[in-house]
Amino acid sequence: MQIRTPQRRRARIAALAGSIALLAAACGGSDFDDGDDAADDGAEPTGEAPAEGVELTLMGWSSSPAEDDALNAIISSYNEQSENTVQFNPVPEYDTALQAALAGGTPPDVIYIDSNRLPDLVEAGALAPAEGNVEDDGDFYESLRNTFTYDGTFWCPPKDFSTLALVYNVDMFEEAGLEPPTTWEDLAAAAEALTDGDRVGLAIAPEYPRWGVFMFQAGGAVTNEDVTEMAIDSDANREALGYLEELYANGYAATPTDLDAGWAGEAFGQQRAAMTIEGNWIVGAMNNDFPDVNWAVAELPAGPAGQGTFVFTVCYGVPSASQNPEAAWDLVNYLVSPDSLIEFTGQFPVMPGRESLAGDWTDAHPELGPFLSGADYARPFQFVPGFQAVVDTLNDGIQGIAAGNRDVDEVIRQVDEAGQAELGG
Amino acid sequence: MNSLRARFSTNETLAGWTFALPALIGIAVFLILPIAFTFWISFTDWNGLSPPEQAEYVGMQNYRDLLTDPGVQRIDFATGIRNNLYYVLGVVPAQTTIAFALAVIVNQKFLRGRGFFRTAYYFPSITSSIAISIVFLFLFQRSGVINRLISVLLPGDVRLNWLDNADGIIHNILGWVGVDSAPAALADNDFMGLSLWQWLSGPSVTLFSIMILVTWTTIGTMMLIFLAGLQNIPPDVEEAGVVDGTSALQRFWYITVPLMKSPLFFVLTIGLISTWQVFDQIFVISSGGPQKTTLTPAFLVYREGFRNFSMGRATAIAFLLFLLIIVLTIIQRRIIKPERA
Amino acid sequence: MTVPMQQTPGPDAARRVAGLAPDTRTPTRADERGQPGWYRIGKRLLGYAVLVFFAAMFILPFAMALANSFKSRAEVAASPLTLIPDEPTLRAYEAMTQTAIPRWTLNSIIVTIMVTLGRLFLDSLAGYALSRLDFPGRRAIFALVVGVLAIPPIVLAIPRYLILGQLGMLDTYGGLILPLAVDAFGIFLMKTFFDSIPREMEEAARIDGASIFQTYWRIILPLAAPGLIALTILSFQASWNEFLHPLIAAPSNPDLRTLPVGLATLRGFGGENLDFPLLLGASLLITIPVAIIFFTFQRYFVQGVAASGVKG
Repeated sequence: MQIRTPQRRRARIAALAGSIALLAAACGGSDFDDGDDAADDGAEPTGEAPAEGVELTLMGWSSSPAEDDALNAIISSYNEQSENTVQFNPVPEYDTALQAALAGGTPPDVIYIDSNRLPDLVEAGALAPAEGNVEDDGDFYESLRNTFTYDGTFWCPPKDFSTLALVYNVDMFEEAGLEPPTTWEDLAAAAEALTDGDRVGLAIAPEYPRWGVFMFQAGGAVTNEDVTEMAIDSDANREALGYLEELYANGYAATPTDLDAGWAGEAFGQQRAAMTIEGNWIVGAMNNDFPDVNWAVAELPAGPAGQGTFVFTVCYGVPSASQNPEAAWDLVNYLVSPDSLIEFTGQFPVMPGRESLAGDWTDAHPELGPFLSGADYARPFQFVPGFQAVVDTLNDGIQGIAAGNRDVDEVIRQVDEAGQAELGG
Repeated sequence: MNSLRARFSTNETLAGWTFALPALIGIAVFLILPIAFTFWISFTDWNGLSPPEQAEYVGMQNYRDLLTDPGVQRIDFATGIRNNLYYVLGVVPAQTTIAFALAVIVNQKFLRGRGFFRTAYYFPSITSSIAISIVFLFLFQRSGVINRLISVLLPGDVRLNWLDNADGIIHNILGWVGVDSAPAALADNDFMGLSLWQWLSGPSVTLFSIMILVTWTTIGTMMLIFLAGLQNIPPDVEEAGVVDGTSALQRFWYITVPLMKSPLFFVLTIGLISTWQVFDQIFVISSGGPQKTTLTPAFLVYREGFRNFSMGRATAIAFLLFLLIIVLTIIQRRIIKPERA
Repeated sequence: MTVPMQQTPGPDAARRVAGLAPDTRTPTRADERGQPGWYRIGKRLLGYAVLVFFAAMFILPFAMALANSFKSRAEVAASPLTLIPDEPTLRAYEAMTQTAIPRWTLNSIIVTIMVTLGRLFLDSLAGYALSRLDFPGRRAIFALVVGVLAIPPIVLAIPRYLILGQLGMLDTYGGLILPLAVDAFGIFLMKTFFDSIPREMEEAARIDGASIFQTYWRIILPLAAPGLIALTILSFQASWNEFLHPLIAAPSNPDLRTLPVGLATLRGFGGENLDFPLLLGASLLITIPVAIIFFTFQRYFVQGVAASGVKG
């Protein structure tokens, strides 16, 4: 689950949707080239387990029983090999729970942190830095490391990541004699051709964490890369929003609730849509709930400015008020060790944050390659503290555009005003 | 008697305070102190993540953000007020009139099985708001019960997306008579960041569905209050009317209704106070969406405080809401007191 | 199973608190005197039509929920309107055993019972003091009680959370229970109730040498039984259904979730779970305990509500 910014429930519907939990963000458009940070590999390992075992709590959220099982398997092997014992505590309303835990002064030892929440937590002084505490941190994709770096400090290693890709119904495509679309024109044509009666071509939730990919593909974005200035008022964004506006207006695209579904993946699984744009989490949902649907994944079609997608990611953080920091980092290191990551992402098809494991992952999930390819050009879902209100305004506008009751220029103007007030002030 | 009282008085002072003390401590800790705390936090920028004592004093900034400074916060707050205003204007009259009518009918002695009907009407009032919200979520689905019933009763296949439809009802009605966009006078003038046209949107279809839900739930309680009032009317008052030869309708208007003034005002004012606090149903059904049309001040308090890490702003909203409700309560007491004397 | 109020009037004290006149009415047809027969019949038909229509409005949603909880998800999607499932299944109820519903139920029971006991204790003591004992500060205390009646729960949500945090009571049963056990309305209700009990009996007891507490315990409480029952029922209902407080008071310990909070989370983190048979079945389960209490003690419910209606 991701994007637990619950006020945007629609957003969450899709995001959290179903099955996985991954989340958000990886670094804005930067290449996943690695390399220069190899030096970090030498950071001293920390997290020697103390001789006396301590009881640790890992607080996070649960995206699906499948993820819980995969994580619990790793946790039990940790408990076997370590003096410490860990309990995984998945909570709903995670932000509220985290807030309570931190403000109460006795937080859990390790917490999930959505990339989008990192700035708030850092500003509040709630986190202990990961620098020097995480083994082999140079192996993480640079973009992910950047995502979890704020104010020049690396705060927490990524748990895993997911990207958005185009998920399509193979049978429907074959029946219509279509190939997976690679451009906006193809996508619109396929959506039109596959719309039939109760079925639409494309199901996408009306929210920035989905629609944003079209803005990237058109060369636009909400802000500049440093989130210091608004960039919403651009022809690229107008083109992207206009493109989607038309798909919805023609009935070729629809929202999940229009299709009687809780999230877009459900609409796709029920074959009410031929395509959807979702992340790795859809895999578990399809396998569990809709095993009979013949589906496949493709990279998102390229727009006028090329390819673009979101990366969603979560990291394991250690609160600055943790009672057992050494044991906590010991646990974190275990969770993000190559062996654990291979095991976890083998069972549960999110992607490991370590670049060295890309091959292992592809071997384990050859059919899911497009999710990993997206990492090359993906951008994170991450702004600055206080920016949530602006994202909310954009989401409201997007809902209005999808519903056909707001126009693109008006939405852009409103978001721009909201953002100017937030960033300028 | 006086001497007796005097003998007991020392004793009574001790006992009185002893008896009242546990409750007083509770009230102080969980009611008075929190209010003071709210007031203090509302002048800070506390984020809820760090210890509250680290929060910075920001003066009236939170209140300015909500009331005077242009920006998203003010728009959200104004939108919340607008939504809640429509909600109150819809729910309070509906629940009051339907409950009153049902109470009058249930009180008719010539009808049998009144106990059964009273029970049936009251039952929704005792059930969990969360459970009822889920039942309504089911009924109002796009391919759900309500749309299918309407499709049976009316021509055509109705597929209204009740719970995800931001269209304002007044805007829709204006649309039917050809007014699709805002007249310049309404579009160009604004109050608290919302144009007059936006203020006049009416409740969205989604909010309207929630209004139906809440009206449905609360009718039972209101009806019982009216029923108690009706049974307070001595039968001879009505008998006198009968003897005078007035019609049933006249008796209703000139005898029953004036005698019901006190329960009527009571129902209206508790209706007013509770409708300004709507939260549970919105939490379950719409979380403020679509397009902010079910945002209410109470939901904003939760959203800002517990989801957006802005406790300072959330407490400022809570405090403004508190003031509003206090004013409504004072009005209630003013109106009702003379009646009770 | 329903008990019309007129046939079983509660004790006088209860009726007074409830704001009901002593039940002196005899069934009379006075209002129908002199009306033609067709008019009487028409009026009745119309009356029943309205009553039945509204009864259907209030009962059908529950019936629909019940029927659909026994359908498969596919059948719910295809034919939500039918009241008899084509292929009844217990899948939803079996699935519930996989959830934490038993744990939530236990928590709800603990919290509800403790809150109710707490209110009975605190409210009856304080109500008695305010009604019967003459001591300096009484008026001020009563004014305070009336004053805090007006504080809306949503306003208290955040500061209560802060106070619980400061007291280290977040994520504890104490934090779930204590704030709800403090209840100004209950004090008000009990004071009103005690006011309606004649003083003579306790004065006699006092002259006989009974202490204030003995008088309260042996003489007054038994007389106040109807009021205590009304308070019990109102607080049972309120705390069983309470959503906001447990949502905020036990945010990070799932083992402390109560039924309403758990039910809300069954929809998934983003509301993406639309397994309606399960959700509807769970919604009905949560309703059953209150329903049982309601049907058993209906008349006290009615008195409680009526009492709240006259509190002004």
